Amino acid sequence: MAAPNFQGRHMRQPSKNTLLKVVILGDGGVGKSCLMNRFVSNHFDEHSFHTIGVEFLNKDIEINGEVYTLQIWDTAGQERFKSLRTPFYRGSDICLLTYAVDDRTSFRNLALWRNEFLYYADVKEGMTFPFLVVGNKVDVSSEQREVSCEEARAWCMENGNPPHVETSAKDATNVEQAFSLAVESWAHLEAKLDRPYIGDTVDLRRQQPEQRSSCCLSVGGNTE
Amino acid sequence: MEEDMWRQFYEKVKESESKKEKTEHDIRIQELDGGFFEKFGTLLKEQHAHQETGGMALVCEEEQPENVELELEVPEESGGVGMALQDSDSEPEESDKHEFITDAMGWNIEELYSEVLYEILHIVGCDASAEEERTPLFCYLQETFKLDHEKHNHLLEMARAKEAPNILLNVEIIEAKDLKPKDANGLSDPFCTLFLTSSVAHRYNTSVKQETLSPVWEEHFSLPVENPADDVLCVEVWDFDPAETVREKMMKIGAVKGVKGLRKLMKEIAVTASTGKHDNELVGSATLPLKNIPASGQTLWCSLEKKGKSKKQGDVKIRLSFSSEKNSHVASQEHRHLLRLMLLHELENSKVEPYQWDGKFSQSAEIILTQHLVQCGLSKVAVTLAKWIEFASVHVDHPLSFIIFSILLQKLVKPLQKGFVTEEEEKLFWEAAKKILPSCFNGIRKIRKLTHSDKSTLHQLSGILSILSQLSTLHPPEGTDLFPPSIYGWLTVNEDEPNCDIRATLYDAVTQGAEDWFSHILENNKTTDSPEEAYLNHLIQVTQLVRTDLQRAIEFHDKIFQQSFNFPYAKTLYKVYESKVAELVEPVVTEVCKSLKPLKFNHGAGDGIYDNDRLLMGTTLFELYLIVQRFAVLGTGLCPVDSEIFLSHNFHLWFHAGVAQWLDIALYKALQRIKKAVEIDHLVPVDSSVKYSSSAVDTLAIFYQIKIFWKQLAWPDVEGSYTFVAKIIDDICRCSVFYADQMSEKVEGMGESQNVYEKKFEVTNEWCLAINNIDYVRQSIQAFVGELGMEEIVTSLANFRSQTEADHCQRTLQLVIDNAVDTVGNKILELLEKVAEKMAPAINRFLLEGAELLQQENNCMDRLMKYLDDNLLTLHSHLNTDNFSRILAIIWENLSHTMYELVESNLERKRPPTFFLNLHETLKILVGFFKQGDEKNDTNNPAILEQMEHLLQLYGMETWELIHQYHLERREEQMAMEAATHGLLTVRMQFVEDLLRIEVLNARNLHPMDTNGSCDPYVKIHLLPEEKFTTITKPRTKTHKKTMFPLYDEYFTLHLTSEQQELENGLIMFTVKDQDFLGTNEFLGEAFVAFSDVPKTDMTTGLEQMAQVHLKLSRPTRQDSEVYRALESRHDKLARDFIKKEKPKFLPS
Repeated sequence: MAAPNFQGRHMRQPSKNTLLKVVILGDGGVGKSCLMNRFVSNHFDEHSFHTIGVEFLNKDIEINGEVYTLQIWDTAGQERFKSLRTPFYRGSDICLLTYAVDDRTSFRNLALWRNEFLYYADVKEGMTFPFLVVGNKVDVSSEQREVSCEEARAWCMENGNPPHVETSAKDATNVEQAFSLAVESWAHLEAKLDRPYIGDTVDLRRQQPEQRSSCCLSVGGNTE
Repeated sequence: MEEDMWRQFYEKVKESESKKEKTEHDIRIQELDGGFFEKFGTLLKEQHAHQETGGMALVCEEEQPENVELELEVPEESGGVGMALQDSDSEPEESDKHEFITDAMGWNIEELYSEVLYEILHIVGCDASAEEERTPLFCYLQETFKLDHEKHNHLLEMARAKEAPNILLNVEIIEAKDLKPKDANGLSDPFCTLFLTSSVAHRYNTSVKQETLSPVWEEHFSLPVENPADDVLCVEVWDFDPAETVREKMMKIGAVKGVKGLRKLMKEIAVTASTGKHDNELVGSATLPLKNIPASGQTLWCSLEKKGKSKKQGDVKIRLSFSSEKNSHVASQEHRHLLRLMLLHELENSKVEPYQWDGKFSQSAEIILTQHLVQCGLSKVAVTLAKWIEFASVHVDHPLSFIIFSILLQKLVKPLQKGFVTEEEEKLFWEAAKKILPSCFNGIRKIRKLTHSDKSTLHQLSGILSILSQLSTLHPPEGTDLFPPSIYGWLTVNEDEPNCDIRATLYDAVTQGAEDWFSHILENNKTTDSPEEAYLNHLIQVTQLVRTDLQRAIEFHDKIFQQSFNFPYAKTLYKVYESKVAELVEPVVTEVCKSLKPLKFNHGAGDGIYDNDRLLMGTTLFELYLIVQRFAVLGTGLCPVDSEIFLSHNFHLWFHAGVAQWLDIALYKALQRIKKAVEIDHLVPVDSSVKYSSSAVDTLAIFYQIKIFWKQLAWPDVEGSYTFVAKIIDDICRCSVFYADQMSEKVEGMGESQNVYEKKFEVTNEWCLAINNIDYVRQSIQAFVGELGMEEIVTSLANFRSQTEADHCQRTLQLVIDNAVDTVGNKILELLEKVAEKMAPAINRFLLEGAELLQQENNCMDRLMKYLDDNLLTLHSHLNTDNFSRILAIIWENLSHTMYELVESNLERKRPPTFFLNLHETLKILVGFFKQGDEKNDTNNPAILEQMEHLLQLYGMETWELIHQYHLERREEQMAMEAATHGLLTVRMQFVEDLLRIEVLNARNLHPMDTNGSCDPYVKIHLLPEEKFTTITKPRTKTHKKTMFPLYDEYFTLHLTSEQQELENGLIMFTVKDQDFLGTNEFLGEAFVAFSDVPKTDMTTGLEQMAQVHLKLSRPTRQDSEVYRALESRHDKLARDFIKKEKPKFLPS
């Protein structure tokens, strides 16, 4: 009749979700705000304004039975906003590096964005940070496409191997999945951090690239 | 209410600020980081004070070597003015000084002396003093002229003996040309001596002209002539050749720079000249017999000759005329010389400081001067002009108060404008003005060296400006160059043209002064270039000094400039400083900003592992920003509509990249402080009226400091402001969460006690305060954002961009705020859960212990109730309603789960009904307890509660009740059946008075279990619960053979007591069975009818009139039902018998 017998049965769902701070970076005009708006309110505005400084939205997302509250900071891509957006990097859990598949420059700038983020985010040295590389605007015709999926993959392989996904905020392709993937990526890294010596985390790491390299759009099957 | 709270808090902060009393508590928090935020708040004040004193001290130190000489002469306390103004450039005065000295010695002193003595003797006017009162005048005069008694007596005798001359020869020595050079440098220093041959000893001298062969004298003399027919005028031109050069003498007297030396020099030269005993060399002479001069006068060139030289020695131009009284030119000149001598004497006697002489002569001097002007018949204008000219001359070496000149000028402006003066007088006027002007402009250029608040200084300044202003209304004669480049080396105007633009020169002087001051500041605040932070401090100091200067200019000087000359002094200064500051600061700041690295404190916030340099650099940069901002604000005030001023509009751009750093620093410092605040919190309410403790107040104070920081930043760019505000709100959220975590950590472990028997947790006041503290902070967030000026920002955004975008931004901000409030709210919930979790073991234990005793004692739950009562009382009295409701709900949820488990486990242990009955009572009490005061909890966990109540009810029943419950449920099942799969039974029923009449009509479609497919059915009637109908014999029909559709048509009448009839849940049960000759009758089906469904009629209605009722026959199906399981779990006979009977009724599945 000891109390512990009963405590074990106290399996109430925790009322509080895991809070994750997500920062979306990328050149001006690649559709960062649209991605966020599509994800949060499933809404697309053809004529949205340039973001002033930052925007903020939050949304709950359930992954593998766990509910996460994403606090999403969308930043302004223009250079003149640089010193306005960088303060927001600190304390991020996830970073979305975005480019537009019809804009080669935005793709080339990924490295700059990545570096800017790492510089200002105060990420612990030597820590693998959960980035997600997002190629937006896959709705454009193949003639307009300037960055191929393979190319983007190759870049990822050379840059810490973050997961990659191609999306369209306009027709909602892979948007939800992109965020899910980001959270999963975070969860994997977190698990690895918590249990650094357990073998199965190694397995997870090994699996990941396989998942990703199968196909650009295969990502849809990974979630939910 | 939140607003109120915030306001109250705000008032408190203000109040404590105004008190300026730091409590020990404050100090402890502040000492953590050296009062970082307080420093931000008071930074400017301190900086200001520091710079003011430190900076000025520096300047003063620097000044000393330069002014050593002067300071010897000028006592420290009153020295400010003179010292500063005299500290003018050395270049300009040189030539003026020569002129002054030579000018002064021109007059024949003895002649003038006799003249004045003569006037004193023949004093006129009603104010004429008595004979004996003249003695002090003579004494005064003798002192002034520095003559010994012998000379004085001699001259007095001569004056007494002298009669007024009838005829005067007026001589003007105009100029000379082609003089033979006498000096080694090929030039001469010529002066003229003139005398009448009848009185050779009585010589008159002109002034000495330096280094020229064509001197211009334009000097007047009146010579008394006794015999115009025979006398001859002799004019000699000499080359002045003193044993020492004037320059050398000047060097000698440099230390005294003035009166004594000059007078000595003047006297010496004058005497030697008049007695002819000197080393001077004669250039040549000319003689003019008076008889040759026409009565109307004559101007002529005379050749100079020299004995033994046939060659001409040069020409001298002379104007000659006769008059019977003193020539006005002569009189004026006499008066001027007298003025000068007296002024020099006055200055010497009174030992007055430079710039201090107020223009008042001693009484004796006044009398003498008045006599002179009266006896010479000089006009007021002529006297004023004489003063202007002579004072100006003296001013060059011994500066006089500018006020005197200003007053003199007031009297002269009109005559000059209207042409009431001769051309010559006008010329003299401007010559004098030229002597005054350099000191005026020096005064303006060196204005910073004055004691700025000193009234007399400001008086002098307004004197200067008044002089400039009045002069600028006059038009100097053609060709006058008021500002020769040789003197005004700092002027920026075209050097070749004569320049008389006073306003432009003033502008240049002001500009030049500002630039000089700026250079001076830079020179005196030198710094090593590294480290960068030190260099930033240097910039702060420089900017602050510049700002201080500007501030001073606005405070003290600008008004005078505006009023006296309508000159925008401060604005002019600002423009100079602005460009200088921009030039100096911008590149450095840009560079520093570029090299700023983000702070490292993400991991282990507040643990103090950080880069000190970065912190320091960021802070210093912020100080610089504030200083520049304050400077720029002055500019905005001075030139509100001037778009040209760059700094005020753009300086913040240099610092753009720094803001992120500052926000980071503020966040970092805030986190550190929160940690400290929690550490030193004793978790007692700050006062009796509130329910939060010191760290909550401290945390709000930290927020307040962040607000102050933000207000000070006063970021001018609206987009930036919006973004930074979002960042600040997010930081506040972060701080609040951090605070919540720290708070939670602090109370962890409190309230736990352990003795031999048990470990127990009691909710303590500290826990409640911790919760309240976090909530207090949470509630302040929204109000805090209002303080940040969010609305203003949104409004400006609407103007700057568009309303849509502004709305969008506002939404974003609100989301950020809501997110912050929610996140902190979650933290509170987390803590509440923690409390509940900590309470759970005790609750469970008490519940279980109580349950063990349930069978024996009524008060077995007392310990539980007491525990709950005590703890909930603590919570209730400290927490606000919302939080109390929340924790109540959480505890209740936990408790109900425990209860449920308790029920289940005891079911397994097959406790007797009394156990469950008592437990049910306990549950009801608990429900009542938790519902107390808040009905909302009703919905909190209904399913589990219902289930629990159901179970407890069932298990708490007597067996017969339970059996009846089973039957009631069987009836429910029967009602729910859709198809009559086991056949139908048709009956009629009625209650008539105390009778229950039943007619069993028939049955159909019976489903026999027999292998032969047929059966012998009969119907038996039971009234339930059987406990209540033991007196009634159970009727049964006949058995019908081999049929599935038996027709019975049998009547039964049962006598019931009224109690039996009124029974609430009474049932009639029809059981259909197949009669087996082997003795075991087989069950075919059963049907239930509630008493309440049986119509009640009177005696007149027969049973045959009742409707036929078709009852669906059913078999029990649910062996898993709670009620069946409950019966199975019983060990009493009744239950066992029942189960034994009932079990076979179930169909094999």
